[in-house]
Amino acid sequence: MTGAAVQKADDKLLICDNIERYFGGLKALSNISIHVNRGEIFGLVGPNGSGKTTMVNAITGFYPPQSGKIILNGEDITGRKPHLIAKLGVARTFQNLALFKGMSVLDNILLGRHIHMNPSVFGTALYWWVARKHEVKNRKIVEEVIDFLQLQSARDEPVETIPLGLQKRVELARALVAEPSFLVLDEPMAGMNQEEKEYMARFVLDARDEMGMTIFLIEHHMDVVTGICDRMVALSYGELLADGVPKDVIAHPRVVEAYLGGAH
Amino acid sequence: MFYRQAGVHHSNYKTDSALFPIPFDKWSIYTMLALGIFAPAIFGSFALTSYLLPWMIWAGAALSLNLLIGWAGQFHFGYAAVMSIGGYTAIHATLAGIPFEIALILAGLMSMVVGVIFGAAAMRVKGLYLALATLAMQFVVDWVLTHVPAIGGGASATLQAPDMTLLGFKITSEVGYYYVAFGWLLLVTLFLLNMRRTGFGRALVAVREKDYAASILGVNSFYFKSVAFAVSSFMGGVSGAILVFCFYHAVTPEQFTVNVSIQLLAMVIVGGLGSIIGSYFGAAFILLLPGALNTLVAYVSELLGLQIGIETLAHLPNLFYGILIIGFLLYEPLGLAKVYDNIRKYLMVWPFGYSKR
Ligand SMILES: Nc1ncnc2c1ncn2[C@@H]1O[C@H](COP(=O)(O)OP(=O)(O)OP(=O)(O)O)[C@@H](O)[C@H]1O
Ligand SMILES: [Mg+2]
Repeated sequence: MTGAAVQKADDKLLICDNIERYFGGLKALSNISIHVNRGEIFGLVGPNGSGKTTMVNAITGFYPPQSGKIILNGEDITGRKPHLIAKLGVARTFQNLALFKGMSVLDNILLGRHIHMNPSVFGTALYWWVARKHEVKNRKIVEEVIDFLQLQSARDEPVETIPLGLQKRVELARALVAEPSFLVLDEPMAGMNQEEKEYMARFVLDARDEMGMTIFLIEHHMDVVTGICDRMVALSYGELLADGVPKDVIAHPRVVEAYLGGAH
Repeated sequence: MFYRQAGVHHSNYKTDSALFPIPFDKWSIYTMLALGIFAPAIFGSFALTSYLLPWMIWAGAALSLNLLIGWAGQFHFGYAAVMSIGGYTAIHATLAGIPFEIALILAGLMSMVVGVIFGAAAMRVKGLYLALATLAMQFVVDWVLTHVPAIGGGASATLQAPDMTLLGFKITSEVGYYYVAFGWLLLVTLFLLNMRRTGFGRALVAVREKDYAASILGVNSFYFKSVAFAVSSFMGGVSGAILVFCFYHAVTPEQFTVNVSIQLLAMVIVGGLGSIIGSYFGAAFILLLPGALNTLVAYVSELLGLQIGIETLAHLPNLFYGILIIGFLLYEPLGLAKVYDNIRKYLMVWPFGYSKR
């Protein structure tokens, strides 16, 4: 966990201040205040339906909070559209895969480069003189990530035909090629076996250590989070139970209760 | 067996993203291209003007519509109206003494403006309502053409297309018309081929498949859908102008009725959504269908001794377009292109059919 140690303690990449989100009468998030330091791996845990995905949807602009503020890099981004938030260097993966069916693995990952490419009608019409050099340049970056995540053999396959574990990796690759400064992963290890989980944990650590990303990791399973996170918070029924370093959070009486009381 | 993929290795990203990475595909395209270029020397005047010329023009129009439906996933039920705006604009512009090249661009721009206005309205609603908004465009344009004399020339009027001069050549012969249509089809095809390998094409497909996933990659779906409407309408407008100048040589509202919109839709869907070669197939199929159908019906009614009225005969193709659209959407959304692809895949491994690819 060297990454966080070198960072200044007050260097906050993300601040969520008193976030509230309702769905009809259901309070999915109530008064959540958290912050994520630059260069750390930040964990978010909680039982099913505790509001983890809702938190991410609030941050990435899909379901803006009804009250509260979200500040990224010192800039208030509350209520901003997802495609604009992406341009600020935020990338995410989805809990239930969101790959583009019918496209190859390669094309899916290339889409992760969108914000760096500025694709246009003009560039497409004059491909040989305009778009080609951008395509080749971005393709090189994509191929590096394909190597990094060991996706070479699946590169040209239609994305929906490859195994689920690989699809999760493709989605991670698509997020990584955007070279985000802030990477949000919503249960990237769900449905994986122990070996695949360990691989994924390795990739997450490498993404932080080698690419310098700040990572927001949602996990259901405590073992992974406690193993790789610098700090974490626990949610239950939309409320913040505890925050701090993993060993304190998992030992917190309310967290123990939520996890023992719940199905997990 | 000519098709072998084996032994084709690309060692850089430029050749890997070539339009036709497999040599056989490349050579068959060159052959087709050569056939297209030398068609006037090979085919007689009748085949050229009654089959090849309309095929080229309608394939170009179908491809333009396919960009919108097949790539961007936005249905359009009034595409004939988009084309009519191009046709009328080009006629009025050339009658006003504007050079034909510029008139073509104006035709595209005018279709684009009107197309985007209706498109933007359509995009605010979803599904069935989108369909209705584009259908509304058809009826609004139809109404304007028949009720505004300054544009349509008065009720049931026909405006003659003046002589055309393109890039310094006076185009008056059948061969000339053919080459204009062929050249335009080539441009449209190249654009769509390029779309397959650029971020623009990928962004359209991403928006079509999962707009929320696209948005977090930074793709502004409203912008890209609008651009799809704009580009498609532009190309549709130019196609309309070419249809009027190279094929009909005059323009009347009947050339662009809702029936024509349905035919275009059938070309795209029967040919294959998002398939380039598919639109070529689709256009040919739908153009040949009425003739084939009439022959068939005449034969069957003769056989059974039935009397079939002219009226019924005239409506039969429409019935068939409807059946084809629904049938292909339900059972083979990838259209004739898929059938072609199956044959191609089969040839690619022939005679080793047991190996999967
Ligand atoms: N779009 C929505 N509309 C209505 N209710 C929603 C919506 N999204 C989430 N909820 C509700 O908000 C609550 C929190 O859901 P959320 O998906 O954030 O949980 P989670 O912690 O991610 O759970 P899981 O571990 O199952 O992924 C749940 O009760 C859920 O039903
Ligand atoms: Mg969730």
